[in-house]
Amino acid sequence: MKRILVIEDQEDNRAILRDLLTAAGYGLIEAVNGAEGVARAEAEMPDLILMDIQMPVLDGYDATRLIKANPTLAATPVVAVTSYALSGDETKARAAGCDAYVTKPYSPRQLIGVVRSLIDKDK
Amino acid sequence: MQDQQAPESRATIRQGGTESSQDEVARLRAQLQEALACQSASTRLLGVISRSRFDLGAVLQSVVEMAARLCKADHAMIYRLTEGCYRFAAGYGPYHPDYLEIERHERILPGPGTLVGRTALARSAVMIDDALADPHYEKKSDARIGNVRSMLGVPLVREGEAIGVIGLVRNRIAPFDAPEASLVSTFADQAVIAIENARLFDAEQARARELKESLAYQTAISDVLGVISRAPSDLLHVLQTIADTAARLCRSDKAIIYRLRHGAYCYEAGTGNVSQYIEREKRTPIAPGIGTLVGRVALTGSTVRIIDALADPDYQPNEDARLGGIRSMVAVPLTQGGSPIGVLALARSTVEPFGEREVALVETFADQAVIAIENARLLEAEQARTREISEALEYQTATTELLKVISRSNFELEPVLQMAIETATRLSRADMGSIFHLQDGCYVWRVGYGLGPIYEEIERRNRIAPGDDTLVGRVVLSGQPLHVADALADPAYGPRREAEVGNVRTMLGVPLLREGVPIGVFALARRRTELFTSREIELVTTFADQSVIAIENVRLFNEITEKSRQLEIASQHKSQFLANMSHELRTPLNAILGYTELMQDGIYGALPEKAANVLERVQSNGRHLLGLINSVLDLSKIEAGQFRLNIGEYGLSSLIETVVAATEALATEKGLRIRTNVVPNLPHATGDEQRIAQVLLNLVGNAIKFTDHGEISISAGTFAGRLEIAVSDTGPGIAPEEQTRIFEEFHQTDSSNTKAKGGTGLGLAIARRIVEMHGGRIWVESSLGNGSTFKLELPVRTIEANPGGGGSSR
Repeated sequence: MKRILVIEDQEDNRAILRDLLTAAGYGLIEAVNGAEGVARAEAEMPDLILMDIQMPVLDGYDATRLIKANPTLAATPVVAVTSYALSGDETKARAAGCDAYVTKPYSPRQLIGVVRSLIDKDK
Repeated sequence: MQDQQAPESRATIRQGGTESSQDEVARLRAQLQEALACQSASTRLLGVISRSRFDLGAVLQSVVEMAARLCKADHAMIYRLTEGCYRFAAGYGPYHPDYLEIERHERILPGPGTLVGRTALARSAVMIDDALADPHYEKKSDARIGNVRSMLGVPLVREGEAIGVIGLVRNRIAPFDAPEASLVSTFADQAVIAIENARLFDAEQARARELKESLAYQTAISDVLGVISRAPSDLLHVLQTIADTAARLCRSDKAIIYRLRHGAYCYEAGTGNVSQYIEREKRTPIAPGIGTLVGRVALTGSTVRIIDALADPDYQPNEDARLGGIRSMVAVPLTQGGSPIGVLALARSTVEPFGEREVALVETFADQAVIAIENARLLEAEQARTREISEALEYQTATTELLKVISRSNFELEPVLQMAIETATRLSRADMGSIFHLQDGCYVWRVGYGLGPIYEEIERRNRIAPGDDTLVGRVVLSGQPLHVADALADPAYGPRREAEVGNVRTMLGVPLLREGVPIGVFALARRRTELFTSREIELVTTFADQSVIAIENVRLFNEITEKSRQLEIASQHKSQFLANMSHELRTPLNAILGYTELMQDGIYGALPEKAANVLERVQSNGRHLLGLINSVLDLSKIEAGQFRLNIGEYGLSSLIETVVAATEALATEKGLRIRTNVVPNLPHATGDEQRIAQVLLNLVGNAIKFTDHGEISISAGTFAGRLEIAVSDTGPGIAPEEQTRIFEEFHQTDSSNTKAKGGTGLGLAIARRIVEMHGGRIWVESSLGNGSTFKLELPVRTIEANPGGGGSSR
């Protein structure tokens, strides 16, 4: 079973993703901020990471940078999930090393589509 | 003479033949003695004549003396013709002193009444046996005084004219005889020769003198001209030379040139041996009036001569004149173009009237003085003009320099003010200058030039309030340029001790006015008492005005810098706020829409139909809210200037296909058809594909929203090198007065419609901004009841965002 690391500070959003990804047949690992997320990623070696951007302690950009700087994690796809809608957000996300970019509010169906395409491609 | 004498002597000898031989011998011996005496007298006389040709008086004296002695006359006189009458020239006595006095004053005309007159008339020897008995002789009373009885008159004849008469007199009746007359004639001839000699000599002497004088005049005049041409600028030296030369050539004790100034004649240059007199003249201007020589020239405008200052009834002699320093005088006007400009006056300490020749010479010198004065004036005017031009140039250059410095230094005031005060001080010939500026109600020293360290320290500590006791205080009270004529003599001036320390005398203050308010003062000072000229005040005012501009520039620059800094901060705050709002609004919406979708997808089990319908409504309202949030965010970004186009290549026909695909379901739901009419082979365009899609989605969405029957058609093509897209519907149409307002923010055609149809009223406003940012335009063609056609026109290639599209309300 593929495992997905969800790094998200909002409990509601983590709950939706938990329901959505579990229903879709993925295993779930959770972290509530960037720092924890990086630690969990290094510990768990997930198949994909859903990265919220605006988070306490360590934001999504920096967490992505740390993850992508780790050779054992560099190939793990990171999907930025942001509620930022200002111009340049996507550019910044890509610069930090994110492989995809989804803005909130996202449609769960759409998000599953993005996740599947990245994990399938990874195969 | 000897030839004549010899026969007579012999005759006398023959006559004496009847007398005794002893007597004969004695008589002969006497005659011989007489002849010898005569001979020797003649010889002596010739010697005298030849020796003393320069002294005619001595010759004539010898003539009468010898004639009297040889003819045994008691006295003899010689008369000379002068100015038509015969006058006493020399005599040999003894005679009564009264008689001599009478004869000295006689002016005798030719005529029978006198011996001299009768002789002159006869032009030959005349003998009167007894003056007292002669019936024609008129001067009998004089003759009695002089004891005159027998007389002999012999004329001095030259070229047939009697130029004089020798008269011999005996005090008793002893008539003169022919031999005596003949003897005297000899002397008379010699006297004629002597007179002629003397005349010729005098004439020659006079000619020589005249020649010499002319030469001296000529030399003097050319000397003066030389001085004039050599030193035209040194007028005083030239006039001094003229006065000196005039005095020397006219043998005068004083020569003074006066110049007319303000209606009175003032001493300008002169020469004289009484320095006190010159000193007095220097102090006392002379007004026109009869009482003075110069005053008279001023009155008459012509040359005035005074023969004797002490004898002139109208002349009011000053002390020197009374003491005899001034007797004969002459003064000549100096006139330039008919107007009097001065006087050249000469004076002698003796009564020796100035002759015509001298007056002419003085007039020549006067003319030269006029030339010299005029030369000097022209030169002065020329130099003044040159000076003025170079001064103006210097002012101009200084002003330009200052303006350059002002324009170069936007935010640095000190160098500008330093340069302004330095230049103002230098050009206004002040010794020091300071700029004071308003700070917390007081005027404090800001920059200075030439004050010296001690005085600068005093000024630096100064805090000057408006008031009458300081220059700065006075200037800010009046708002005008002001003088303190002498800081040490101004009773109301307070800081006198400081002024003494700074060696300050005359001061000038010029206010720095901004909108009439004195924000500072230019204070200039001289170490001497000399008021600033109006030109200098004007100059300082110019520099003060420019300093105000500089101060104002810096103030505005700082203000603008500060404002834009604040704006920058505000803008950052706004961006941050927008980001936060966006995040805060979307996060709960994400949960709402996410859960709705998960429930609809049956993740939480199958739903009853009613619940499914409710979820449908939740989802549609959630999406509407998201649309609102997105629109507000877009608009805010546009307002904040943070809305950027993401320029790239796009194909219009595929873009339209995407739009149709996205909206087709909505149209089909309402029973509407979407038709497209895209011209084939449209050029590849550049622009922000996503934003243009947003615009088209908005237009098509609106068309579907407001149309209940019929169709929506989308057409695209090129027109005049631009892309043209039209979205038409068969809806209710838009009234003409609404057709521009619908593109404004928060506007919908009918507020009642809004509730029925939904929509934020922001879509068209955002569409307009996006199109304008691409350099295109959007508009609507419609009429009520006939549907609407929204048209937009875009450049094929948009290189970068057109700032005009950034928002008019930015």
